[in-house]
Amino acid sequence: MIKPAEIRPVWTTGWTEDVNTGTWRSALPVYEGRPSPCGVACPLGSDIPAWIHEFLEERYESAWRLITALNPFPAVTGRLCHHPCEQSCNRLQFDGAVTVNALEQFCGDLAVKEGWRLDRPGAEKGVRVAVVGGGPAGLSCAYQLRLAGYKVTVYEAGKGPGGVLRSGIPGYRLPQEVFDAELQRLLDLGITVEANAAVGSGAEIERLLEEHAAVCLALGAGRVRVPPQFAFRDPRVISALDFLAAKGAADIAGEDAVVIGGGRVAMDAARTARRLGKSVKVLALERLEALPAGDEETAEALAEGVLIFGGVMVREVDRQPEGLRLRCNAVALDGSAPPGVYRPVLIPDTDFTIDTGTVILAAGQEPDLSPVAELCESHASLLVVNRRQATSRPDIFACGDVTTPAPDRFVSVALGGGIKAARGIIGYLEKRDSDEPEQSPVPFAAINTFYFPLVPRFVKESRDPGGRVTDFGEVKVNLSIEEALVQAGRCFSCGHCLKCDNCYYFCPDLAVVRDPEKYRIDEKHCKGCGLCVEECPRGAVSLKEELT
Amino acid sequence: MSGEHGRMLLNGNHAVAYGVKLARAKVIPVYPITPQTPILEKLSEFQAKGEMTADLMTMESEHSAMAACISASLTGVRVFTASASQGLMLMHEVLHYASGAQAPIVMANVNRTIGSPWGFWPDQTDSLAQRDTGWIQYYCESAQESLDTVLQAYRVAEKVRVPAMVSHEAFYVSHSLEVVDVPSPDLADQFLPPFEPALRLDPAIGSSWGSVVNQDMFYRHRRALDRSMEEALAEAGEADRLWGELTGRAWGIVELYRPEDAELLICTMGSMAGTAREAVDLLRARGVPVGLLKVKLVRPVPAAALREALANVAKVMVLDRNFAPGTGGFLRQELCAVLYGLAGGPRVYGYLTGVGGTNVSPGRIAELAEETLRAGEPSFYSIWKG
Amino acid sequence: MGYEIAEQNVFCSGHSACPGCNAALAVRYIVNTLGHDTIAVVPPSCVAIIVGSQPLSSLKIPVYHTTLESSAASAAGIKRALKARGRGEVNVVAIAGDGGTYDIGFQALSSAAERNEDIIYVCLDNEGYMNTGAQKSSATPYLAYTTSTPAGKPSAKKNLAEIMGMHRIPYVATATTGYPDDLVRKVRKARDVQGMRFILVLTPCLDGWGLGDHEGVKVSRLAVTSGIFPLYEIEDGERYTLNYGCTGTPAAAYLSRQKRYRHLSQVQIDEIQDKVNSDWQRLRKKFEV
Repeated sequence: MIKPAEIRPVWTTGWTEDVNTGTWRSALPVYEGRPSPCGVACPLGSDIPAWIHEFLEERYESAWRLITALNPFPAVTGRLCHHPCEQSCNRLQFDGAVTVNALEQFCGDLAVKEGWRLDRPGAEKGVRVAVVGGGPAGLSCAYQLRLAGYKVTVYEAGKGPGGVLRSGIPGYRLPQEVFDAELQRLLDLGITVEANAAVGSGAEIERLLEEHAAVCLALGAGRVRVPPQFAFRDPRVISALDFLAAKGAADIAGEDAVVIGGGRVAMDAARTARRLGKSVKVLALERLEALPAGDEETAEALAEGVLIFGGVMVREVDRQPEGLRLRCNAVALDGSAPPGVYRPVLIPDTDFTIDTGTVILAAGQEPDLSPVAELCESHASLLVVNRRQATSRPDIFACGDVTTPAPDRFVSVALGGGIKAARGIIGYLEKRDSDEPEQSPVPFAAINTFYFPLVPRFVKESRDPGGRVTDFGEVKVNLSIEEALVQAGRCFSCGHCLKCDNCYYFCPDLAVVRDPEKYRIDEKHCKGCGLCVEECPRGAVSLKEELT
Repeated sequence: MSGEHGRMLLNGNHAVAYGVKLARAKVIPVYPITPQTPILEKLSEFQAKGEMTADLMTMESEHSAMAACISASLTGVRVFTASASQGLMLMHEVLHYASGAQAPIVMANVNRTIGSPWGFWPDQTDSLAQRDTGWIQYYCESAQESLDTVLQAYRVAEKVRVPAMVSHEAFYVSHSLEVVDVPSPDLADQFLPPFEPALRLDPAIGSSWGSVVNQDMFYRHRRALDRSMEEALAEAGEADRLWGELTGRAWGIVELYRPEDAELLICTMGSMAGTAREAVDLLRARGVPVGLLKVKLVRPVPAAALREALANVAKVMVLDRNFAPGTGGFLRQELCAVLYGLAGGPRVYGYLTGVGGTNVSPGRIAELAEETLRAGEPSFYSIWKG
Repeated sequence: MGYEIAEQNVFCSGHSACPGCNAALAVRYIVNTLGHDTIAVVPPSCVAIIVGSQPLSSLKIPVYHTTLESSAASAAGIKRALKARGRGEVNVVAIAGDGGTYDIGFQALSSAAERNEDIIYVCLDNEGYMNTGAQKSSATPYLAYTTSTPAGKPSAKKNLAEIMGMHRIPYVATATTGYPDDLVRKVRKARDVQGMRFILVLTPCLDGWGLGDHEGVKVSRLAVTSGIFPLYEIEDGERYTLNYGCTGTPAAAYLSRQKRYRHLSQVQIDEIQDKVNSDWQRLRKKFEV
């Protein structure tokens, strides 16, 4: 036998860690903060999962600060917002949307109670900007500009700032003291308010532009639309805006009232009249199921004893000394009419009569564009703005109801418009563009529901209708802290990593590394299987094709 | 360890058990099969009486018994098992596995006929059919030789890291009583050092054994095994020499009995060698020049020793108590391969004697020897001679 | 819900498992829980490939590769040898596939159980000989496609957990990768018990079952919630404890995700559902004792 060189049997001598299995993959997991559908739906672009997470960890002030980076009025919006976040919430497809609105109110109220101050503005820029109109849109724009260090002056036509928030919302929906506290806290940042300072003409705006580097027009939509049947002067026919502004101090002659209109203003007026002890009817062109006021407000009004007639119109008014006789008909709205245009068609043989001592007009509102008619382009009674809220004049911006069609006139939309206008102004003044690439929000399919036991949604309760209709105290009762924490726990945190470690534990190749602040993929070993993506409860990691 | 030693009346199986006790085997996986059972019964008795510190594992088959031997051996303890016939066949896969792993296991095999049909008779086909599995193979003719060879097998196996099997035949050796000199524990300890392999399964070391290798590695494993087998030849001789010094009994890896001027050597293994010894004496008493060449170590084949023993002998008569259909006797085939090209080498006469356990008497062997002395050219097949 | 699984650093990256392999995931949890004072025994199987070819290993513990029938016997031999060396505290764990456990390895397993060998035996059950190309084993379920039963397996899956329970060994458990905290708890419990311990882990095979790379964990959960593979423990052959069982998921929800069941007719699906129902009803009674 040939003697070979010294050969001894080989046991293993090392580990497979040096083997590059990363070459196997064609896609790599990427951790990127993806927008949640609630944040995309929110007119302010609030990062809702982020502040809900702070709330859940009982870091309430931290949650509030995240909210107030964009929204200085969370106690207000927590009461008034139409919460599009909840309608787009992914949990809606599981066991009910997260009660974002109630949680926001909780933070807002707690801040007022605890006296938390808003964050101080950044370094002073020494540049002045004017905001015409002190309603929610104007105040929001002023707030963002102030935070950025600009000197802001708000020119308010009325006795004090607030707009709709001051004079258009009954106390049972928004207590005055809540708004006052949040307003004062905002003004304390150093925003100057000139009250009784209507800006009535283009010339005045040009004068403002001599002292201010830019102007934001937040004129609102404060002119009540008077239907032709009511185009006469009569003290018994009053505007809903005037009625609401009196906050229940303006009494109505007689025992009853009829409200014309089907929107939120109509319902507010009706329910205010109920609290004055009147029997109230609401006459709306729209069918009961399709009232612009929405199901919730409609149901509350009905519970309080308001009679609502949907699909009816006042054909003509018979003015008598003892009262107003309204000759009415059932109508159907012509569906082929363009949006925002009402074409009621009388239904034959449906005429009826209502006698009343008072008619409250709540049939729509428009902006008064006469001050700016020559300066800026307008269309369909609204100021035309681009996506940076700039008008046809580059130094004049606009936001709020003056730029928004009636169906979208919500407080949150106004606040959001104010933020966009402020960003537009800052971009114009600092000559920079901040266009963030759009990402699509996390869909429900990306949520791994295995990790979320069913927890029922629990909403704000309403006071008993019989009792609540006798005063202007708040109708809705917010959640307790215990229930709020349970509801906050229902947030999936779509697209926002919560460091739950699922990705780390489910990797068969140990290719997810837990760095101190975040996760990192070990590219030498990741095979691109996608288990981390599948087992992420909230779509915070996704597979991106590797093309090289 | 305690218990008796010195001269005792023992059968072959019990002698093996005493050998294993002296060797201080620690883990003993076993499965019973006739005619091996007295080995494990005796070991169980030693253990139960506290004479032996060993873990007897009553496995559910021979395959599992050998599997447990391999892994236990690789974990660094001395192991032992015993089997026969069907059991050995069932182990075939893992016999290869053991030598590939270079696990120094010692196994006693009681040569028994293989089915079908059934039989329990002495026949060496069972272990000879395993001669390609990479095990060292010894064949013993007596109870004393079996005891001695168990200890030698451990020493050689552990030095070269190759498993070893020690075979003796059913009943003729396994169950026959003879006077056996059982060495003292001190002598055994002197001869056989403790088993402490440097490479073993141990978390403190961390290495693994047995995973998939590439072609080049596999080739090198085989060359390493070849090298070890080659070393085993020298170690076997050395172990036997040392044993002879300690006990006065050196069996030799091959043994020549009365070879002087022999015109014919009778070549055989196992108990047949004992019978042939008597035949040689009968023939020599009549002046017939015949001697005995006993082959003890079959693997690794002691080629040099065999060529030297047969260098100037005219004829060799191989007695095979085994049979491979298609080729005949195993020993004849091995011998022919070893002798090929030997200048002045003998003519080889292969006979199949005692296949299936039939009785072969000294007289019959003598008769065959005389017949062969007169015979012409040998056949190149083994011839059935009963 | 966040898992908190304490792991030791035994399993490494760089191994050759398919992307998304649930057997690799199971091996990670098992060896990282058992820790470094462990010797593993692995027969020919996907696990043998995952553990690595010489000279590298993906397990930072000694691994002994044994023949397909011998896992339990080899593991027993190692443990006895360790005890003989005074190292009885080292864990010995056999990690074998279903082929090497239910079929060719069953004899050795049953015998080791009868002798109450002091080993942990983990069977990673992917319901077929997947490493050799998806042939049927006695762990393959009724009507599943395999390359050796292309019309669907005509016989039922062997109920190995209860068979091992009948051996009256100290600890038997079923587990799966979709519930890693449960699997880890069971490995820890097994580690701290003496005698024969058997854990049966359902590990969906992506290629063999016809799943996407990312789907193994999700499908393992459907196996549990449909009652097809409930997670439970049997101690000393007598005490049955349910951990996760049937929550009413239809069998069809589990079957329809897998290519190996694509050929099923509605009649066959109903038949499977009936069998699942009756099996679950029978098993449930054992938890009530």
